[in-house]
Amino acid sequence: MIVRGRELLVDPSIDVDAVVVGTGAGGSIALRELARAGLRAVALEEGAFLGPRDFTQREDEMIPRLFQDMGGRMTEDLGIRILQGRGVGGSTVHNTNLCKRTPDRILDRWASEYHVSGASPSAMAPRFAQIESDLSVEPMPSEWQNGNNAVLRRGAAVLGWRGGPLAHNRIGCQQSGFCELGCAYDAKQNALKVILPEAIRAGADVYADVEATRILVTKGRVVGVAAVARDAVGRPRSEVTVRAPVVVLAGSAIGSAALALRSGLPDPYDQLGRGLRLHPGAVVAGRFDRAIDAAQGIPQSYECTEWLSFERNSDKRVWIVPAFAHPIGTAAALPGFGGAHMAAMRDYNRLAVLSAMVHDETSGRVAVTREGRPVIRYAMEDGDRGQLAQGLVASARILLAAGAREVTIPGVFPVRATREAELAKIGPSLARPHAVPLTAVHPMGTLRMGDDPRRSVVSSQGEHHQVRGLFVADGSLFPTSIGVPPQISIYAFALHLAPGFVAAARG
Amino acid sequence: MVKLPLRISRRRLLRSGLALGTFVIAGSGLAFLRTRGYVVPPERAASLTSLSAWQWVFVTHAARRIAAPDRPADSSIPTPDDVDVAGFIDDYVGRMPHELRRDLFRAFAYVEHVAPLRRGYLSRFSRLPKDDQDEVLTSLATSEQELLRGAFEGIKSLVFMGYYRDARTWKILGYDGPFVGRPVGGWTR
Repeated sequence: MIVRGRELLVDPSIDVDAVVVGTGAGGSIALRELARAGLRAVALEEGAFLGPRDFTQREDEMIPRLFQDMGGRMTEDLGIRILQGRGVGGSTVHNTNLCKRTPDRILDRWASEYHVSGASPSAMAPRFAQIESDLSVEPMPSEWQNGNNAVLRRGAAVLGWRGGPLAHNRIGCQQSGFCELGCAYDAKQNALKVILPEAIRAGADVYADVEATRILVTKGRVVGVAAVARDAVGRPRSEVTVRAPVVVLAGSAIGSAALALRSGLPDPYDQLGRGLRLHPGAVVAGRFDRAIDAAQGIPQSYECTEWLSFERNSDKRVWIVPAFAHPIGTAAALPGFGGAHMAAMRDYNRLAVLSAMVHDETSGRVAVTREGRPVIRYAMEDGDRGQLAQGLVASARILLAAGAREVTIPGVFPVRATREAELAKIGPSLARPHAVPLTAVHPMGTLRMGDDPRRSVVSSQGEHHQVRGLFVADGSLFPTSIGVPPQISIYAFALHLAPGFVAAARG
Repeated sequence: MVKLPLRISRRRLLRSGLALGTFVIAGSGLAFLRTRGYVVPPERAASLTSLSAWQWVFVTHAARRIAAPDRPADSSIPTPDDVDVAGFIDDYVGRMPHELRRDLFRAFAYVEHVAPLRRGYLSRFSRLPKDDQDEVLTSLATSEQELLRGAFEGIKSLVFMGYYRDARTWKILGYDGPFVGRPVGGWTR
């Protein structure tokens, strides 16, 4: 059953075996596994319950409904815009269906450097396979590549760079090109469509528009969650108390950390909220003489991995994928304003856009304001800036190799080039602080797992080192960036950790 | 309890208090004067839900420059007034979380009242000629202070959301628009 906040007329008190905070990739799996184990489980979701009929394909209507802070979430220094999901299904509702496993070398590194036990590549392989089966993950056929993806494929091929098709979780896709605004055709095989309905069929309840405000802890043991239910326009409606011996945090690397900080959880080694990775990226636009029609078709179906290696101390830490937006997003990203900006917008259908995303080593931090809202502190380190500059130049080379007449790297002072030789002059200063607009869609870390309580917040089983019964099952678990989109990793780690919180809920 | 350093004499304390009081009164007076004289059409004033009169006037002027047409003589290009960017922002801001709205209003106040002064103009932004408004906006867009650039980018994003949300603007781009709810013959016929 799905209950909306506005339906909670009195201050309810709910007694269950387990409560899950968040309903994205991690929360949906946690809820499903608890319910399938025969336990009474509920999930609290601060955002709304929206379905295909609500997804209007209009940016002005969907961005404020599907994203945190109405799409305006930023790092504290305003250097990076963070697009993060909000609502039943979390970020799986607006993501572009990219399905990649956690790289083996990352899992190995977590074991050797961060004392994560039980999550070796061989231990995780069945989890990934299970999730991929649940979500019907398949490689994208080449005939489904739209103009923007074809540009990436062609440019990489001309340069002799490594690339290939991406795998997605979609069935019945209409190739409308509006994935990031929610799928009006219900083709996304995500938490909203697949996993949460399975959880509900197994007996779980989901409370939408109910924001967890505090984790309740007594004598070193979690006893529940306090929350506030809101009406359709966000006004507080009632106070909700969920009493449960097990709480699973799955509100994202930012949301879960903020809730933990608001709740004043014990933090003897000052680890809470630390280790934030953002997988930040910036874009390069190429203007072609012919129509690319990048807004039409599946947005991201091809990747270039020439500049991405997971070897230790690698100097290749950039993942290049197509990135295109509808008019409002494009207008915000293009430099300048006024007549010159509109003139640039007239090339909308002739633009191809690539994004260079950095497998970051910068460690940021989530804190909270006095009101309890998250503050995201992240100052990109020089090494990552060098990688970003390298990735932007590589993206520009791909676009020129594919036939772009001109490439533009948006920024305070945009960089333009028409020939590859002009790109050779560009150095690491291209990515100096605040020079290029950065966007992040994959926050990770902040409640990191590991067996050493001095360097982590939760154990390798996902349980808080100091608070019994409190588990984490989202991207905040990850000790480092994983360098690829994290949805499959989050689903799989929630599945991996489920036996622990199921056993705890059984008492 | 905070103890005052013994070096501060009563006379010095009184002088400091007087100076502070004068500063507060002068600042309040200036703020009062600079938020007077904004004229909003009565029917619009009655419908505003989030913006004050001065904020609505500022947003209207900022939108006219940020979404200015590339071909001013071309009457087929909808203006920000035609698509009611300011009205959209009034509604949008009303749904923002409190802290975001507060920060945005501070950005409005800075661009309207302070940024022109820093460029040597004594007028408010909304009373400057177009070219001078563009100069002020350019100074913000290229400022070395990231907070000022952030303020500009925030206003720019809102204006473009208000402008390019309207199907009448899609013809400029050759954008076909959403499939959901698409009229027979398309959005841009």
